[in-house]
Amino acid sequence: MQTLSPVNPPRTWHFDADLLRRYDRPGPRYTSYPTAPHFAEGFGEADFRGLARRSNEDPIPRQLSLYVHIPYCQSPCFYCGCNRIITRDEARGRIYLDRLQREIASIAPLFDRDREVMQLHLGGGTPNFLAPRLLGELVGSLGRHFSFSSALDRDFSIELDPRFVTPADVELLSAIGFNRTSLGVQDFDPAVQKAVNREQSVDETLAIIDACRRFGMRSVNVDLIYGLPKQTLEGFGRTLDTVVAARPDRLAIYGYAHMPRLFKAQRQIKDEDLPSPEDKLALLGLAVERLGEAGYEYIGMDHFALPGDELARAQREGGLHRNFMGYTTHAQTDLIGFGVSAISHVGDSFTQNHRDLPSWEAAVDEGRLPIWRGLMLGNDDVLRADVIQQLMCQGEIDVRRVEKAYGIDFGVYFADALAALRPLQDDGLVQCPPGTIRATPRGRALLRIIAMCFDRYLGTPSEGARYSRTI
Amino acid sequence: MREQPLTVLSGTPIADDGDELNFCSTCAFSSACLAEGYDKTQLRDLHVLVEHVGPFREGDHIFREGDPFNAIAAVRAGTVKTYVNDASGREQVLGFFLPGEVIGLSAIASSRYPCNAVALDTVMLCRFSFPMMATLASRMPGLQRHLFNLLSQDIGKASLLAGNFTADERLAAFLVLLSRRFAERGFSPNRMRLTMARTDIANYLRLAPETVSRVLRRLQDEGVLEVDRRDMRILKPAVLDDMAHHVLRS
Repeated sequence: MQTLSPVNPPRTWHFDADLLRRYDRPGPRYTSYPTAPHFAEGFGEADFRGLARRSNEDPIPRQLSLYVHIPYCQSPCFYCGCNRIITRDEARGRIYLDRLQREIASIAPLFDRDREVMQLHLGGGTPNFLAPRLLGELVGSLGRHFSFSSALDRDFSIELDPRFVTPADVELLSAIGFNRTSLGVQDFDPAVQKAVNREQSVDETLAIIDACRRFGMRSVNVDLIYGLPKQTLEGFGRTLDTVVAARPDRLAIYGYAHMPRLFKAQRQIKDEDLPSPEDKLALLGLAVERLGEAGYEYIGMDHFALPGDELARAQREGGLHRNFMGYTTHAQTDLIGFGVSAISHVGDSFTQNHRDLPSWEAAVDEGRLPIWRGLMLGNDDVLRADVIQQLMCQGEIDVRRVEKAYGIDFGVYFADALAALRPLQDDGLVQCPPGTIRATPRGRALLRIIAMCFDRYLGTPSEGARYSRTI
Repeated sequence: MREQPLTVLSGTPIADDGDELNFCSTCAFSSACLAEGYDKTQLRDLHVLVEHVGPFREGDHIFREGDPFNAIAAVRAGTVKTYVNDASGREQVLGFFLPGEVIGLSAIASSRYPCNAVALDTVMLCRFSFPMMATLASRMPGLQRHLFNLLSQDIGKASLLAGNFTADERLAAFLVLLSRRFAERGFSPNRMRLTMARTDIANYLRLAPETVSRVLRRLQDEGVLEVDRRDMRILKPAVLDDMAHHVLRS
């Protein structure tokens, strides 16, 4: 039976240049709340061991997600703000893997064996800096120390740099157990590729997408970036046409955040090559338009997916979640991160490994857990994290549910946040029918601006410099 | 580590409404005294025996096996686990005590505590000096009767799971009884926080921890209950009652 109005708001991104211009300000991406800058040193091994033990003791302990960080890259992309190490010395991969295996062996016993791994993600850096043989060894090691789920919907994903992987490698990765890949593309325009030091042909990229399909990857994601040096509407338009024609199941369109003071590689980018804020906005507008025409649905926070993709379905059915690895269909899991700079999320806590390689190596060599810093969430943090998660995933907050679950009067508890939301309401970004706070189609493009109203840590001095602008 | 829960829904209930002349509403002795119509002087006699102790933190021992027995205690807040270590040193969980329930009763017959009692979360107690209470009980028949009641309940609780029952039956009975105990003290029977670890529940029910989780997960899939971390909601109490029927014979 046809209903009069859709239960959920349309999954499109209502592009409003004027609005985006006005709300272009620095803000967190909320892959966690509180965000990583609020983690503190002094939160260490004993805390983590206690939290792991406690997490085993729930009546139904949460399933596990594993993240492994591979910091190495063969060549530096100038736009990159990730934690990575440039080297061509492949032997370093072997050495890193040996330490990873020791880290895995020391952490895995903290978690009960009946907690199945539903999600595994390899990120970087460039995970395929490790040859498929080494990646196989890594996954084998994880499989011996943890219980991999045999569920059909388990997600084992890997980020790939198409320049350093072959179709034959993809076949091996599939045999190892990976069923999702994410490919970095950014822009196919040769002038842009030269300016960011990442030259990658259309043909080799399409060959990898094709190989992913052929060898049974359940979904392929492609990352694009707008706002790169030398980028033009014409060139980016061609990139969008090429990518959309390849029909990746998921697409991420990230805005380039130029923060050369924070990220050394970005100093290679000349200011005069960067598009103006107006041009940047136009590039985003073009991407949103092309993806919409091609039938992609907007998931939230830079992410798009084809309507048949699990993410799009989960979003329609309210089953979408978000963690450090981005959007996922899996309900709350405890996340364990391995490798330099990796973040774990166990129970109501965050823990981050040492961010510099020597500290991480030293800790592993001494048989310590390589923890740098962390945070135990207070009740207020848990409540706000829930509210922000609802916004990021469903585009709305169920006020009644929050009141019931936390025993608060929403209007009183969040009086400041509601006051901060008022101008956003006036601008048509947010609607507040009884019992709900909902991002409008216009507001869905600015979810992080809406979420920022609920962030208790913003407004403290020095906060602004840490985050990239929202667009 | 953590702050106090924002609400009693997510925390364990605490009764803190007692004073010099009135017991806390959840206290195991309030009914004994009020129902018997004791006057204020008599109540005061009993109150002299009472001492509020705590807080005990998670993992703190309240008494240990072999300690000289000198008091029983009513739980005011939190959950207490009692256990013994068997000959090979393995822990055997004997029971869990919720607010309003009395620990130490099994020691009445001897001069030493026959088991260990440990706090599972933040625990507050009302401690009753036992030799003095025994003397008083001889003058107050109602109090004596009440002590006998508490004792027989304690014995009944222990023998409940001794039979040859399936994992489903044991777990269902455990939950049904827990739900009844909460309800008796005025809390929701269908919404509770399981303060005990799953290894403790498993140990108490003589099951493997994985089995406890597997049965719960199946019950959740079937819509009988809903578990979010330590919080549990019973959605179909009748189904659970039915499963527990053989164990509880009611």
